[in-house]
Amino acid sequence: MVIDRRKAILFSSAAALRFILFFAFPSLPDLLTGRVEISTPVTSFKRLQEGLFLYTHNAPLLLPLFALVPPSLFSPLTALLYILLDLLCANALIKITESGESGSSRLFTSPRKDMKWDSIAVAAAYLFNPFTIATCIGRPTSVFTNCAILYAITQAVSGKPITSMLTLGLASYLSLYPALLLPPLILLCYDRKARDTKTPPAATFSTATFVSVFSASIAWFLYLSKVLTGGSSEYLASTYGVHLLLPDLTPNVGLWWYFFIEMFDSFREFFLGVFWLHLGGYVGALCIRLRTQPLFVITTLLGIFAIFKPYPSISDTSLYFAMLPLYRHIFPLMRYTFFAMATILYATLLGPAFYYLWIYAGSGNANFFYAITLVWSLGLSEIVADSLFAVLRDEWEVERPEMKGKDIRQI
Amino acid sequence: MALISPTILALRRDPRLLKLPPYLSALCIFIGAVWLCLLPLNEYSRRTYISENALLPGQVHTYFGGSEQNVFNAYKYEVQALVGKDQEAISTKLSDIFESAGLRPARQKYEYHAAGNTYSGENVYAILHAPRGDATEAILLVAAWTNMDGILNQSGVALALALARYFKRWSLWSKDIIILITGDSRAGPQAWVDAYHDEHSSPFVAPLPLKSGALQGVVVVDNALDHRFESLHIVYDGINGQLPNLDLFNTAVSIASGQLGIGVSLQRMWKHNDSYQERLQTMLRGMFSQGLGYSSGPHSSFVPYHVDAITLQAVGDGWQDEMAMGRCVESIFRSLNNLLEHFHQSFFFYLLMQADRFVSIGTYLPSAMLVAVNFTIMAIALWIRSGRPPAPKVASTMPEKQNPEMEIVQENNMTAITPKENLTILERQLFLPVTLVVSLHFLGAIPLYVFINSSHNTLPLYFLLFTFLNFFQPTVLATLIHRHTPLTPQHHLLLQSFSLLVLGIFLATLATLNFSLSLFVGLLSTPLSFTGNPFSSSVDAKDAIPSKTRQHIWTLVLQLLSPPVVVWAVCYIWGADLGEMLAEAAFGWKVNGLWTQVVIWCVWWPAWTVGGILVNPLL
Repeated sequence: MVIDRRKAILFSSAAALRFILFFAFPSLPDLLTGRVEISTPVTSFKRLQEGLFLYTHNAPLLLPLFALVPPSLFSPLTALLYILLDLLCANALIKITESGESGSSRLFTSPRKDMKWDSIAVAAAYLFNPFTIATCIGRPTSVFTNCAILYAITQAVSGKPITSMLTLGLASYLSLYPALLLPPLILLCYDRKARDTKTPPAATFSTATFVSVFSASIAWFLYLSKVLTGGSSEYLASTYGVHLLLPDLTPNVGLWWYFFIEMFDSFREFFLGVFWLHLGGYVGALCIRLRTQPLFVITTLLGIFAIFKPYPSISDTSLYFAMLPLYRHIFPLMRYTFFAMATILYATLLGPAFYYLWIYAGSGNANFFYAITLVWSLGLSEIVADSLFAVLRDEWEVERPEMKGKDIRQI
Repeated sequence: MALISPTILALRRDPRLLKLPPYLSALCIFIGAVWLCLLPLNEYSRRTYISENALLPGQVHTYFGGSEQNVFNAYKYEVQALVGKDQEAISTKLSDIFESAGLRPARQKYEYHAAGNTYSGENVYAILHAPRGDATEAILLVAAWTNMDGILNQSGVALALALARYFKRWSLWSKDIIILITGDSRAGPQAWVDAYHDEHSSPFVAPLPLKSGALQGVVVVDNALDHRFESLHIVYDGINGQLPNLDLFNTAVSIASGQLGIGVSLQRMWKHNDSYQERLQTMLRGMFSQGLGYSSGPHSSFVPYHVDAITLQAVGDGWQDEMAMGRCVESIFRSLNNLLEHFHQSFFFYLLMQADRFVSIGTYLPSAMLVAVNFTIMAIALWIRSGRPPAPKVASTMPEKQNPEMEIVQENNMTAITPKENLTILERQLFLPVTLVVSLHFLGAIPLYVFINSSHNTLPLYFLLFTFLNFFQPTVLATLIHRHTPLTPQHHLLLQSFSLLVLGIFLATLATLNFSLSLFVGLLSTPLSFTGNPFSSSVDAKDAIPSKTRQHIWTLVLQLLSPPVVVWAVCYIWGADLGEMLAEAAFGWKVNGLWTQVVIWCVWWPAWTVGGILVNPLL
């Protein structure tokens, strides 16, 4: 196989940058591992290390993987592993871009589809995103989930629905919430399959197959975990229970922790339901409204996850920002990119400053940091809403060409 | 809402709106500066008050005096006898004195290397275990062997030793008392407090053999005088402009002036008649010291650890004797002993303009924030301009009568006619401006590295060289960029926009950590907002790039306000030696964790460089 020269340069420079950060600044990985913006209770690398002895909290299958590493080489080999994971993600992104799914899907072709970045640029935007780099150095386990999600999408756009479902099964097994991506991914798999064949396959049958493969994959991983933990099912409560019931209220960039700190216990169950409904409620609506562009449904859902997940971190944001450049063609239709990016930049700098004032200097308090996580979420939701607007407008201009370039008015 | 939105949408297209940002930006700077000058007025500042009721300052009778005077005099002779002896002899003697007072002494050696100098010494300390406590909390009495000016702190050390002996006799302490004699005023306290929190860098700084509980408060006594003093000078600035809780300062002021009748001064304002001018001067001196963020006394090293600390310095020639200073410390310690919780009630962010007058963060923060916001406003305005197509050649006075150019849009067999003007969205070329701004900010690491790691002797030379190179630096960079990719007018606007955005964000963040530094850097960078043609509203070549004369004027202004020139000017006005100041900064970075220079080289200097490139006539 001939390796593309540009790809080789990009991958080697991205890997070199990460190597330098890992080994020239030995205190940096530990510093970033401890940051609340990167490590949440369910993805923390430190807890993974503790889990190697205790075998709880992280999905059990990751533990044997790390347990294989000899302790003397633990640090350099995990660094290598995380660098490789980033490159794998970038590789998946290149394949997704090359499929052209974002510009023209089976049911919709954007009039702007020619205005796009090539696959190397998309991969570079991912690899040199500071959030991605910080995540890589901080080594949270969410990188595995991100990689699995990207590969599930890659398999779907390459017309391999079965492997796509298996990979999504892995992602869901690792951190539960990717299961919400099942409906749009089924649509995407179905669309890609229907595109390649003359007569579209039966929708019900395909869906049933996909769902059963997905369930079988999850069942298999759960069975494997059970075998590895010696027949115990306790890990279920300590891994998925943590996502569902939010017992650990360590601060993070999300919206849940502060809310649940303040809440009286009698309302807890109700609001857990409300928050999960908020996370899951968009899936159906987006799938129906954007039926023609399932890949964009997945992208938007990733953005929504980065805001409304129980334990979000900047690694979720980096995944969303990895997918956004695929929609380069709708950027000119977005109205608030600069404001949203400025908001996110402000939050990126003020967040650590306020956390410092709260935790170390003692001159601030929890409200300082929470206020900034609100700003952060505001910036992200601005981008999610704005990109959604742009895609809808793009669709609308196909239906109503005479409205091209005119302001939208609320009547 | 439905009614308002069309009006707002119509307003969005209004060209007058795009003319507004420069005025708004200038107004922000103006209000920010005027705001600062209003603060000393009675209407805007407040009288200080004690927030923590448990402190009860000055409510106890002080007994330090009488025969303690003889003990003090004896210790002072001992201290004076140690002048010229080596560190080992001094430490042994101090240990002996602690032991004779019934306290268990401990020692800690330390050695730091910075700017080619070695700072070494030994700390000697003893812990008085609280008769009524459980060793979970401690209060600290510090006397440095030499004070900030390097003069032997003879009365201060003798007073600390006498107080240690005196405190031992009382049974009312509910917190451990640690008496610490540091080897010097800068490195010693830092080594001790680092080691107390297990943050010391082995093997140069030794660990502490004895420890007690969490430090609740620190009082440093500095009395190098050999005669009676006039007033107490209270020093309170910590490293990086962090301040101790205002309650500690208030307690000291209220005890010294209220209970004991000793005058109190701050920020080296020896004469203070409570006039507007003197209040402003005190405040500005405080801000200057906060902005530089360097160590202003042995107490400075404690503040970053969230340990509130102040230095009491005896100044002037008056009729207060050392016993009065001792009674002041005794009374402060009785108040600290009353604390039920760590200092938290009063303010951590304040500006003092007199011993009993201050402004809190809510009142003064808007001024720095407004200065920072001006950059963001201009960044947004420049961003909008960069996406605007060039204005039509002939401006029409009655635009509604003019027939707009129409374009036919064909899509899926449907045809429509729309005005052409609306269709032209100027694509922004983002790659070059973003890369340039980001890499320039990283380039700041070079001067930072050079000035931190050079030796004391070469620092002034390097700085002179750097100032010289910095003079040509924007021109060289501009030429290089021009050779590589000639900048379009849009590049100009975007480059300025991103640079200002980043500067604004950095300064807004900095304002929450070190208000004064953010304000000073912000004020010195204000010209960067107005280079170019701030009042035009499109991306036209002749609008985006200023005329040659303006470019020359702006180049001159920016060269006068460049970071190295400002550093020279500060040294000149202050009468400070440049080499010493740079060595101090390098020491601060290596020992105290001072990051003022990071702000200068990685925030201010890159922003200035972008400004310099943009107004360069060669481009």
